Amino acid sequence: MAVQSEGGGKDDLKTHFATREGEYKLMPLSEYSKPTRVAYNGQANPPVKVSFVRVDDGSSSPDRLCFNVGRELYVYVYKGVRKAADLTKPVDKRIYKGTFPTCHDFNTATVSSDSVLLLVGFTLGQVQLIDPIKKEISKLYNEERLIDKTKVTCIKWVPGSHNQFLVAHSSGQMYLYNEELPSGQTPPHYQPFKHGEGFSIFTCKTKSTRNPMYRWVIGQGAINEFAFSPCLRYLAVVSQDGHMRVFNYNSMELVGTMRSYFGGLLCVCWSPDGKYIVTGGEDDLVTVWSFHEKRVICRGHGHRSWVNVVAFDVHTCLVCDEENCEYVSRDVESVAMHNHLQQPNANHVSNSSVNSGLGGIKVRDARSDSSQQNGSHLNSNRNSTEIPVSAGVHYTSYRFGSVGQDTDLCLWELTEDVVKQPCGKIRTPGGLGANTAASGGAIPRSNSVPNNAQKINSVGNDVGHHHTPEGTTHPIQSAVLNATNKFATLSVADRKESQDKKEHKRNFSLASRNSDRVGLLSKSNHVKPVDDAVKLYGTPACPRLDEVPVLEPLVCKKIAHERLTSIVFREECVVTACQEGLVYTWARPGIMNGIMPYCGQLKIDGFG
Amino acid sequence: MKIRGKEGSKGANASQLEKEIGSEQFPANEHYFGLVNFGNTCYCNSVLQALYFCRGFREKVLQYKQQQKNQKKESLLTCLADLFYSIATQKKKVGTIAPKKFITRLRKENAEKKSSSKAAATADNPTVKPDPTWVHEIFQGTLTNETRCLNCETVSSKDEDFLDLSVDVEQNTSITSCLRGFSNTETLCAEHKYYCEVCCSKQEAQKRMRVKKLPQILALHLKRFKYMEHLNRYIKVSYRVVFPLELRLFNTSDDAFNPERLYDLVAVVVHCGSGPNRGHYISIVKSHGFWLLFDDDIVDKIDASQIEEFYGIPSDMQKNSESGYILFYQSRE
Repeated sequence: MAVQSEGGGKDDLKTHFATREGEYKLMPLSEYSKPTRVAYNGQANPPVKVSFVRVDDGSSSPDRLCFNVGRELYVYVYKGVRKAADLTKPVDKRIYKGTFPTCHDFNTATVSSDSVLLLVGFTLGQVQLIDPIKKEISKLYNEERLIDKTKVTCIKWVPGSHNQFLVAHSSGQMYLYNEELPSGQTPPHYQPFKHGEGFSIFTCKTKSTRNPMYRWVIGQGAINEFAFSPCLRYLAVVSQDGHMRVFNYNSMELVGTMRSYFGGLLCVCWSPDGKYIVTGGEDDLVTVWSFHEKRVICRGHGHRSWVNVVAFDVHTCLVCDEENCEYVSRDVESVAMHNHLQQPNANHVSNSSVNSGLGGIKVRDARSDSSQQNGSHLNSNRNSTEIPVSAGVHYTSYRFGSVGQDTDLCLWELTEDVVKQPCGKIRTPGGLGANTAASGGAIPRSNSVPNNAQKINSVGNDVGHHHTPEGTTHPIQSAVLNATNKFATLSVADRKESQDKKEHKRNFSLASRNSDRVGLLSKSNHVKPVDDAVKLYGTPACPRLDEVPVLEPLVCKKIAHERLTSIVFREECVVTACQEGLVYTWARPGIMNGIMPYCGQLKIDGFG
Repeated sequence: MKIRGKEGSKGANASQLEKEIGSEQFPANEHYFGLVNFGNTCYCNSVLQALYFCRGFREKVLQYKQQQKNQKKESLLTCLADLFYSIATQKKKVGTIAPKKFITRLRKENAEKKSSSKAAATADNPTVKPDPTWVHEIFQGTLTNETRCLNCETVSSKDEDFLDLSVDVEQNTSITSCLRGFSNTETLCAEHKYYCEVCCSKQEAQKRMRVKKLPQILALHLKRFKYMEHLNRYIKVSYRVVFPLELRLFNTSDDAFNPERLYDLVAVVVHCGSGPNRGHYISIVKSHGFWLLFDDDIVDKIDASQIEEFYGIPSDMQKNSESGYILFYQSRE
């Protein structure tokens, strides 16, 4: 099998791909893996995840990369796209017995030149805290597995916190730990703290505070991933039960729910402005959910298998400032100034204006940003902690990527015409879909037209027909949303139940039913089994296939032999990893051609 | 992680299963019985177990048993009814049973039909018995076959019923994607040209098959045995094809009767081994919320997370695998 990955089928793998901003190239010398390649036999291994951190050590390579492969965990100096990886000298290397590392996270709030805290979760439920630089610290949590015996599926420091972290398990539970608190020698006794539809939260019932500080019981199956919003106020959690639940993290209230088309949801991420959440799952789809409207706005079909990871490319989202994005030719410098003021991490570009029709819109491209903010910015969009929610910065187009079990990388673009589509069109009870209308009942000539799916380009002819994208303002849109919802509620009796949560806010006529449910829940501290997959279908939480646009990927390329398990967008490159334990670096367009004006400076250290 | 191995399975006897499930949790009126292997009958045992745990199917077979009490004429169906009845009325909750009568009858009928000896073909036979209508009620769906003449653009469509769908498999895909592939548009040209009634001549045409009526239980057969012309024999394709516990179809026709049906995976027949003429069949089934693995006379409780061991393998070199072969999805409503 080693033969296969080295030679053999290598030819069918893409080593470069092009988007409209240019060509992305695989950097063969920047490939990270175990120091010695051995025959791969890792089918049953946990997925290979990568974490980054920037350490201000005054060197020219301040980035550190951590990845797990099999029972091993490696931390390397990440040398980016220009310098070859040195696999012989890992910063840290650990081999575990009996339990496999599954996920990890660096603490970006406490990192210094000689110390960084790294959390590692394991298949048997344990959590370890290590310092791969100092190598002094090694603390274990849930060591005796008294708190949870199941696999750790996602682990993250609470953003900005020096000592608190969240650990999700495949048991469907999530725990808040404080690094400094003891775990106790006995299994924790819990008392109910808060609950709502599909979740309950408990605290530890002890005199002295101990770990875990909180226990969240969410949904019915494993929790697969969670992500904090860029403003840090909200937490999105995706589960094997097919739900994405968004909580207000501090008040612990459920503020929104989404349901997959079918099957478990495997991954989740927020747009850089916090307006949208993208999920991927076992329905082979990526699904975009609007945080403000609390509805699915589109789905994306490109993968031929389950979607393992989704991530926004913060560096390739189109921005313009709020007042001026509709006007043509805005002065580049002043846009830059404005954004600098509003958004400490924003970066701008003058060299690549993209969409012809819209003036003043620039590719946000961190590469051309000369110096000041790089330090705070490098831990992928997920770890960024300082981006305020859309304060003055107005995104007109979002780029995100996804990788899946089909070994494909897909890039997606979420444009304004999709974002501003009104909510699901009103269907006749018989359900003649948009597809019928669009294709006229005939078989499309091209194989590329997916069944039952509108092409993104055809969207304009369908739902959004009457609304020009620019003319549709948010109030109007929500009015349409309201009206549509009400219509749906009135006309289709069996959908009432699933709508009542939404209706509750505007229309108290259904309140009695709602309070019944709350009453039921309060009787038991357990999470009430929810079989709402069928009920939610056809609602904004899980629209029918023809009720929302179906996006096609900008790019869809096979880039590995084994299923892909990670994707991280960085300023200079995109980093992917696959089940085999190979971490690839893809240079962004222009980076290796020497045409970037700031190439030289990027090698200079000591930012921030 | 517990990996299923032959040795491990042999060690687990029936009472251990009872212990593992726990007397409190053991579902009332449920029986988990292994089936004795009479020599190369694992293919049959695995399908029998899968069918036994298809809710509607078992009910109907037991009803049939009640109705046919006085009828003496033996058929494959009466043998099946007797077997199901005998499992369902056992005093013990777990154990083994010998499906002797059923196997004898099956062998007799197979010999009569002189049908192909391929396990692949025979494995589906229990679902395609002489036509009692309730079998169709449960398993039958309708495909609509649309053909568009590229000359006159006329679309003609023809419906055909199915009891299961046979789908081609590809490396590192999902069953969802394989089903999309099943309904891909194909162009009929050259020697495969289509006779167009409007043009009154052979024309190039585009053809597409989509699901018009979704069955109560959707049986999906993965074409893991592929005929290789240069080898002049069938080989096994062990491709990794993931299958979710919950499924909806994307390849439904525009006029589909119930396109949004939501299915739950209830049983999987798994082929273990490297080729069609050797190897072993086992099944995994869902019963009362947990998963069981039936390996002839051995029954094990498994964790849902172990199902991923039966997706297949991503290496194209290796043929040997324990991989899902027939999937049974039951409609939730």
